[in-house]
Formats: sequence, C-alpha cells, structure tokens
Amino acid sequence: MQNTTQIESDIQIGADRQARQTLVRLILALGGILILIVLALAILSTGDDPLATLSIFSTRFLGIFIEAAPFLLLGTLVSGLLEVFVSKEDIVRWVPRNPFLATITGIGMGFAFPVCECGVVPVTRRLFTKGLPMSAGVAFLLAAPVMNPIVLVSTYIAFGQIAPQIVIGRFVITAIVAGAVGLIFAYSARPQEVLRPVSLVPVRGGSPEAKSLVPQQPAFIPSLYRALRIGGDEFFDMGRFLVIGSLLAAAMQTLQFNLNGETRSIQDLLFTLGQGPVVSVIVMQVLAFVLSVCSTVDSFLGLAFYGTFTGGSILAFLTFGPMIDIKSTLMFAGVFKKKALIYLIVLPFLMTLLIGVWVNLNLSF
Amino acid sequence: MQLSENFNLLDLTDENKTTTTLDWVKAFVLLGLAAYFAYNILTGNLTNYINTRFVWLSYLAVVIFGILGGASIYALIRHDPMVRDSSHTTVSWSMLGLVALPLVLGTLIPSQPLGASAVDGNIDTRVATVNGASAITKDPLTRNVLDWLRVFNQTDSPASFDGQSADLIGFVYREPDFAPDQFMIARFTVACCVADASAIGLPVTWAGAGDIADGEWVQVRGAFQAADFRDTIMPILIANTVDIVEQPEHPYVYP
Repeated sequence: MQNTTQIESDIQIGADRQARQTLVRLILALGGILILIVLALAILSTGDDPLATLSIFSTRFLGIFIEAAPFLLLGTLVSGLLEVFVSKEDIVRWVPRNPFLATITGIGMGFAFPVCECGVVPVTRRLFTKGLPMSAGVAFLLAAPVMNPIVLVSTYIAFGQIAPQIVIGRFVITAIVAGAVGLIFAYSARPQEVLRPVSLVPVRGGSPEAKSLVPQQPAFIPSLYRALRIGGDEFFDMGRFLVIGSLLAAAMQTLQFNLNGETRSIQDLLFTLGQGPVVSVIVMQVLAFVLSVCSTVDSFLGLAFYGTFTGGSILAFLTFGPMIDIKSTLMFAGVFKKKALIYLIVLPFLMTLLIGVWVNLNLSF
Repeated sequence: MQLSENFNLLDLTDENKTTTTLDWVKAFVLLGLAAYFAYNILTGNLTNYINTRFVWLSYLAVVIFGILGGASIYALIRHDPMVRDSSHTTVSWSMLGLVALPLVLGTLIPSQPLGASAVDGNIDTRVATVNGASAITKDPLTRNVLDWLRVFNQTDSPASFDGQSADLIGFVYREPDFAPDQFMIARFTVACCVADASAIGLPVTWAGAGDIADGEWVQVRGAFQAADFRDTIMPILIANTVDIVEQPEHPYVYP
C-alpha cells in the first residue's frame, strides 16, 4: 500500500516527532527547574515558614486547575466527538473556499464548537486534519476562546452592569484581530509551511489511499466509545500544559522578594508599573500571558483590575490573553512550525496593543 | 503510520508491556481525578479553591472524568486495541506524571484556604463600587467585611457611620507598624477561583488585641468610629467583644 514517497514522509514525521519530543522535554525540564528556583527564592527571601509557602502555592495551583479542568474536559470531549462524528466532507461542505468568507466562518465557528483556550487547540488540530482551510482554522483558533456562548455569559455577568462597553469591545476586537491574522495566514502561507506534519497526515497528498485511513461510519454506540477513548488520551496530551501553566502562574503569585524593605510579589510589581496609556496595555498583556487564566473565567479577573488599570489595557487583557498565553503557546508549539508560531504570537500581540492604546487615547472607558 | 510510531523512543522498549502498564496507570489517574473532585465536593474543601458559583463545574468534572476513566478500564478488560488516529500523540509517562501532579499535591498537602500568611502586605481597605446597592439594602448586622467596604465607598464622609453597630467574621491580619491594640479583620474575595483572590480588611481597635495570633478566625462585635488609620480618616471598628471562632464553611467572600 505504501509507496516510497509515503515512507519518506513517514520518516520525516518520525524525525519531526522526535524533535518535538526533545523540545517538549526541554521545556518540561526548564519549567521544572524554574519552578524549583522560584520556590526556593520565595522561601529564602521572605523568611516565612516554608510549609506555609508550599500550602499557599498548592492552594493557588489547585484552584486554577480545579477551575480549568472541567473546561479542558469539555474541549477534549468535543475534540473526540469531532474526530468520530464529523467527517472531512462535512467540513468541506460547511466552510466556504473563499479565504475571506472562510475567515468569517472561522471567527463565528466558536458558537458551534464552544471551547476555551485549553480546548481550542485539540479541536483546531482535529479540524485541520479534516481539511479545514488555513484562514478559517487560524481565525477559529484565535477567536473561539472568546467567541462562544460560555464566555459571552461570563463576560456579561462580570461587566454587563458596570461597563457594557467592555463586553462589546471584547467581542469586536477579538473578531477583528482573529480575522486579520487569519487572512494574513491565508494569503501568505501554505498549510505545509505552517503546520507540523503531525497535524497534516490525512490531508497530505490527498491520494485515494488516504481515504482508507478514515474509518467508515460505524454504529452510534461504538463511535461514542471511540470518541471517549480519544478524549481521554487528549486530556493527558493537553492537560500537561495546563498543569505547567498553572504551576508557573501559581509560582508567580506566590513568589516574593524584598523591594526597599517591603515584601512584594511579581504581580504587585506589575501593578505599580501599570500606569500610562501604552505601558498599562503592555503590562496587562504580559499579565494575561503569564497568568494563563482560562478565557471562560478571565473576565472576573479583569473585573478586579477594572478601575486600577486603563480601559484599553483591560480590553487587551481580555482579548490577547485568550489568544496567547503560556499554556496556549506550548500547545501551539505542537501544531505549528516555529516561524508560523512566532507570527501567531507577535501579530495578535501587536494588534491588541495598538487597539488598546487607541482605546486609551480616543475613548473614555 | 506504523513507521512513524517506531520513532517514539518509548515504544522501542518492549512495546506491549509498557503500553499496558501505562494504560492502566492512565485509567487510574482519570478515575483518581474523578475521586479527587468528588472528595473535594463531599468535604466542602472545594470552597478553598473556587467560588461556590462554579461548584457545578466540579460535578461536571466528576462525571466526565468518571466516564473517561470507565471507558479506559472497559477497553483494558476487553483487550480492545489502542486507539490510533491521525493526529494523535501517544500518551507518555511524562504526560501521566504531570497530569497526576494535582492528584499528588491535593493528597499530600492538607487543603487550606488562603489566610493571613498569603496577604503579604497587599490588603485593600477600599473596593470598587460594584453591586454597592445590594450591600446598602442589607441589614447592617448581617453585612460582611466586603459589604461594609462597599457601603463606605458610597460616601465621602467616614464620620457618617459613627456609632453604627457591626458583627463581623474574618481572620486576624497585622502589619509591623500597627499599634498594639490594633489589627485588621480580613477576608479574601474570590470572584472565580483563588487566582483572582485579593485580601480586604477593616481596621479594628481592641484592648486585648495582643492576645490574638495572626491568622486566627474571630468574630468581632462593636461600633464604628471615624479615626486616622495609616494617614487616612476611615471608619474603625471599636470592638466590644472579640471571640475566637471556627473557620467558616465558606472562607472567602464572593463579590
């Protein structure tokens, strides 16, 4: 069945997989060392009871994990169900081929696949293997964590009464940035240049043999069973990044150091720096990146900063954070090639920064 | 497809045996997480971590973890072949270890809410005027620390609360520059989970303050009197009684 080209590309996949595993191991090792250093510093610098520090760290870590895990589970379940029940042909039928229309579809698709940023990567990866156009996939990846019913509700609960403009702004800015980045990817890169081969397998070549890889639609119950098993594995694949992200976020909040005789955490230092129309936006973007709080709940965090920080910076926090943070960056690294990954981070960063600064200078939030 | 799997280093060593052990561990981690979430719900420890508003999410987690773990066990018992699909990364020991970490920390370290030692000098005596109206309509004696701060925030005149009675529960928090008869009665507000926890507090004056340790949960009954506290005129709770109490069922207040 396999011809020479097939075998060569399999070797290529093997090499890429190995490279990726090395990269992941490297990140894991560095993350582990960083966390140890951070904890050691925290304990040494304040002279507090190390057990108390560990207890606070554990509470913060578990808090984020317990809040995020259900959403990650829902995301991986959706991913498993998509793999089993949605055929490539369905996607091809639903999504327009025109890049502009495909981008718009991608932006709105979150309402059909309600996932947060923990869950969006497995779903996007799955959709890419099903033949989703590049522009729609990238727009979906960036927009879906905000453009979905759950986040609409949580953002409305947080800001609906005191600042409805934040609710509207969050959705408008996300649509603009996700659409723009999706179009840039559609017109300047081919899928082979953007995606890691792991995410391309069934699409690649498009040979008649590839079709035999897709199982024929079996009965409902066996399909569901298969979806559950895929979902279970996917939870481990994505869950490790949630754990690393939560560990780092908890460490950042727990880490303290002495500044002119006062004990301050890194987060507090960011607050003090966070004034002015430009710096405040950058500070909130960094905070969103580091905290890695799930998009379904980050509006409550934004609410806590509302009033202290500028309106533009709150909007940047609520739009950039769901697109790019520590967790999603690590997960993106498993799907996108390095160059595409850099664009995928830098473009949303610059766009939300520009819009945030513009809001600060031109609108009174 | 087969060929690419062979590049996975783990699979090179006695593939079948490794895979089976790993799959059993995987299934038990999933079931363990279901049990951990259920344990947190049953003991009430869940409120150490998240706002009660989101407890239903943990019920959902128990169900989904249970189903996923059950499906894994079922597959192992039936000796169903492993699921191999196009874009799937094989579960490895490092993934298992990381995902099991919450289970390990949750089991080994006794569950405790954030308290006085987590404040670290970062405590607010003012809060944004969100839902201030509902705090005002509450019976003054049922207002908690957050309600009072919201009520204070509605006016520019701290003295307007002089003589008003209050009955508050919170933990004791002190900073080095506090007078010997002063402490703060503090709570953490948690909008969603402890990631957004922030400490709020009200200054209390009580002659016996020195006898109460930091972090102790207390019930303070007294009346407000506007006075200077750290260079700001604000209502200070002059205590009539201070009783040491059990940590409340819900350690945080929810804005």
